[in-house]
Amino acid sequence: MSETFAVELQDVVKRFGDVTAVNHVSLQIKEGEFFSLLGPSGCGKTTSLRMIAGFEMPTDGAIYIYGERQGYRPPNKRPVNTVFQNYALFPHMTVAENIAFGMQMQKVPKDEIKRRVDEALAMVRLSNMANRKPKQLSGGQQQRIALARALVNRPKVLLLDEPLGALDLKLRKAMQIELKALQEEVGITFIYVTHDQEEALTMSDRIAVMNNGIVHQVGDPETIYEHPADRFVADFIGETNFIPVKVLSLSPTIEVELGSGEKVTAGWAEEGLAVGDRAVLSIRPEKMDLLELHEAAKLKSNDVARVRGKVAHLVYVGTDTRHSVTLGDGTEVVVRLQNIHIDEEPWEIGEETIVTWNAAHARVLKE
Amino acid sequence: MSVKTEQLQSDHDTWERVKSKFGGWSLSAYGILAFAFLYLPIVILVIFSFNDSRSVSKWAGFTTEWYGKMLQDGQILLSIWNSLFLAIVSTIIATILGTLVALGLERYRFRGKTAVDSMFYLPVIIPDIAMAIMLLLFFNMSGIGFTPWKVNFFGARLAVPYSVIIGHVAFNTSFVAIVVRARLAQMDRTLEEAAQDLYANAWQTFRRVTLPMLMPGIVGGALLAFTLSLDDFVITFFTSGAGFNTLPVRVFGMIKKGVTPKINAVSTLMLAVSLSLVVISILLSRRSGDGDSVQMGF
Amino acid sequence: MERLRRHPELQAWLILAIPVIFLLIFFMAPLLIVFVYSFLERGKYGGVEWVFTLDNIRRVFDPLYFKTFLRSFYIAIVTTLITLGLGYPLAYFIAKSPPSRRNALVFALMIPFWTNFLIRTYAWVMLLRTHTGLINVTLMNWGLIDKPLPLYGNDFAIILGLVYGWLPVMVLPIYAALERLDESLLEAARDLYASSSKAFWRVTWPLSIPGVVAGSMLVFIPSLGAFVTPAILGGGKSIMIGNIISNQFLGAHDWPFGSALSMVMMIAMLIATLIYFRWTKKSELVT
Repeated sequence: MSETFAVELQDVVKRFGDVTAVNHVSLQIKEGEFFSLLGPSGCGKTTSLRMIAGFEMPTDGAIYIYGERQGYRPPNKRPVNTVFQNYALFPHMTVAENIAFGMQMQKVPKDEIKRRVDEALAMVRLSNMANRKPKQLSGGQQQRIALARALVNRPKVLLLDEPLGALDLKLRKAMQIELKALQEEVGITFIYVTHDQEEALTMSDRIAVMNNGIVHQVGDPETIYEHPADRFVADFIGETNFIPVKVLSLSPTIEVELGSGEKVTAGWAEEGLAVGDRAVLSIRPEKMDLLELHEAAKLKSNDVARVRGKVAHLVYVGTDTRHSVTLGDGTEVVVRLQNIHIDEEPWEIGEETIVTWNAAHARVLKE
Repeated sequence: MSVKTEQLQSDHDTWERVKSKFGGWSLSAYGILAFAFLYLPIVILVIFSFNDSRSVSKWAGFTTEWYGKMLQDGQILLSIWNSLFLAIVSTIIATILGTLVALGLERYRFRGKTAVDSMFYLPVIIPDIAMAIMLLLFFNMSGIGFTPWKVNFFGARLAVPYSVIIGHVAFNTSFVAIVVRARLAQMDRTLEEAAQDLYANAWQTFRRVTLPMLMPGIVGGALLAFTLSLDDFVITFFTSGAGFNTLPVRVFGMIKKGVTPKINAVSTLMLAVSLSLVVISILLSRRSGDGDSVQMGF
Repeated sequence: MERLRRHPELQAWLILAIPVIFLLIFFMAPLLIVFVYSFLERGKYGGVEWVFTLDNIRRVFDPLYFKTFLRSFYIAIVTTLITLGLGYPLAYFIAKSPPSRRNALVFALMIPFWTNFLIRTYAWVMLLRTHTGLINVTLMNWGLIDKPLPLYGNDFAIILGLVYGWLPVMVLPIYAALERLDESLLEAARDLYASSSKAFWRVTWPLSIPGVVAGSMLVFIPSLGAFVTPAILGGGKSIMIGNIISNQFLGAHDWPFGSALSMVMMIAMLIATLIYFRWTKKSELVT
């Protein structure tokens, strides 16, 4: 028997008229996981979440919650709760009434409702706000009430649709930590939709990166960052250099040729590439280094790539300096060098240099 | 820069300042004049309702005699009751129908929606004289005729033709629908989704979230319908058949015969009613607080 | 229940059924009757003979009646223009007032509108009447004029009454458009070397055109179909289409002709509205 997941999407498709918002998405979200759907706006992440909640019905495919197929089951009969992007607190009800709403609908006994509302308010540290109207609260407080209103129902899965989007940066950072701590405390599965990669990387156990209705990669934050599966993921998460190359060989070692004719090896190549294909070599700026020409000559290792270039541009950003280097074929790459030694002689614009990186950090991806 | 050009420059600055000051000042002056234009006729009308003379062009001292005369006029009293009864009944029906229209048209997509939508705008656009004769012909032809609804309303024996009630509902439904729909369109739909997410079924969602949020719009629509119904002369005049008077119909008859302070007194009474309706709508919007003002009219 | 939930169309029709049926019977059917009656012969004692004829439509274009038609158009257009001329600056004044005062001013504008139209018209009868009207009596008492000014029972009185009655309806949509207007757009125009009047004509005016269009339609249509104003302020001499229509039902008992008149009036309104929308669409593109 296969494992039962908290939420499982099997080949889900959602079309709105001619537009395909979600295109054959399959996901398996484990119990207790903090799972993020990450992608630019319009990538289908919110639609996916809304299908899990029951606000939208899939055009095709199936959604399971704890092994139960949801079908046409309406939102009010699903064991999940949502924290909405704009919180969607009922403006005509007090904070306490808002929190009690879900339990009233489920016909929970009155005294229990009262006890659980108090507990929920205490959990988000807003006990003294019980009789306020939502509009009298600050953005951060409203956010916490929205969270309490959902969690008080003890859902099996909590769905969060960019819940921190409306908060300012400082508050958002604080709430990220608070939210993560809360999730660990209650142990409920969180499915979290965001377009903010940093938010996703900091909070999630696993991330699904989406674009144009397709899931590009699913993995833990480190995998997503260090081992992007394709060009979109590499580009969307963090900063990456893409150098156009031609594939020379794929095994036993992966070797590619740059436009300048220089040959380098790489640690990994995307599936489906063949010898002779055009591709891009992806390396993170912080994984690169710059060497003087004479220093490079001394390097013997085959595992280190060496490419000639010329310093084109320098931007000092405090912790490090971004060096733009033009390679032989005209490609510009960014190399981030940490400013460790203040007395180090800086690179100058126009200076010839050798760009090096560890071959294991370079990935060959489809164009 | 020479002294002369500097002098010119500063002259120019002064001119600019004077111009912008004058512009603002003349705009305010215009605003005050425009409001005077709107209010003066009404104020004069009220003043002369207290005039101690049959004339309404010369002030001859203060009296409340005309109000006394008005209250002794059985015809006027009956027409007041008629107006009130008609307004209350048609408002209740129109508010229910109009709210249904707003919900149906704002919340659903279906074939033929554009046709239904346009149909409900027609009564608002069509001039009341056209609507009045349309209804007149219809009631004449259909055999519904001008059968009265005989009713005892706070002790007053009224006979209100069904045709008039139907006529009022026909135009008021559209007005209520417009006001409620505007409110509905503004309403955040995620609130309803949130309710569903919190285990409310369709009816509970409507009852606990949609309806309360919609209430200012419904109350506003109802107040508008009530006002329009009290106000209406043309449609009542043509759809009532002979012998049925609302207050405006009665006043029209009196004006046709000539100008008397008694008409001023009746008018002042009607003004007072309209004004209190406005005050009620303001108070309600205050009470519903948090900016959810009662939306009346446009 | 489950079926209903899955078929929102069914739900919509369930909600709309009663009001739609109501309107079909009590509005669309009467509209149809007026249409049909336009092509029938007049009955001897009111009512109709079920004989097809085009006489009624022909009669509408008889100079005797068509003149009134043209005059009604003239009155409605002049009314709309004057109302626009008076209303725009008023809307501008309200929009430029401090935000705290704006709502109060809008309410002040709407209070006269919410008061009975008949009474507001009557107020002008009191003021304008030739021999006993307050204006003429006062001016004569002060010795400013020797004989009463012709203020009543003419087009002037009708237009004044219509302007007075519909001014708030013109102001409101224009105000709404002006109020939405982002102040920084004007600042940007000034920053880009526009004088204040240039800034107005190049930025404020074009952006307020939707309000002007809405306001103009809201004034033009009821002015063209006016009945109460000419009946009271026209003093029986100066009449519009609305009065001729009503005469066919109240006095002449010529229902088919009355129907034909109102059909033509409604079609004329429709055409005027369409032309106006076309025209403003074009001018919007130009500016």
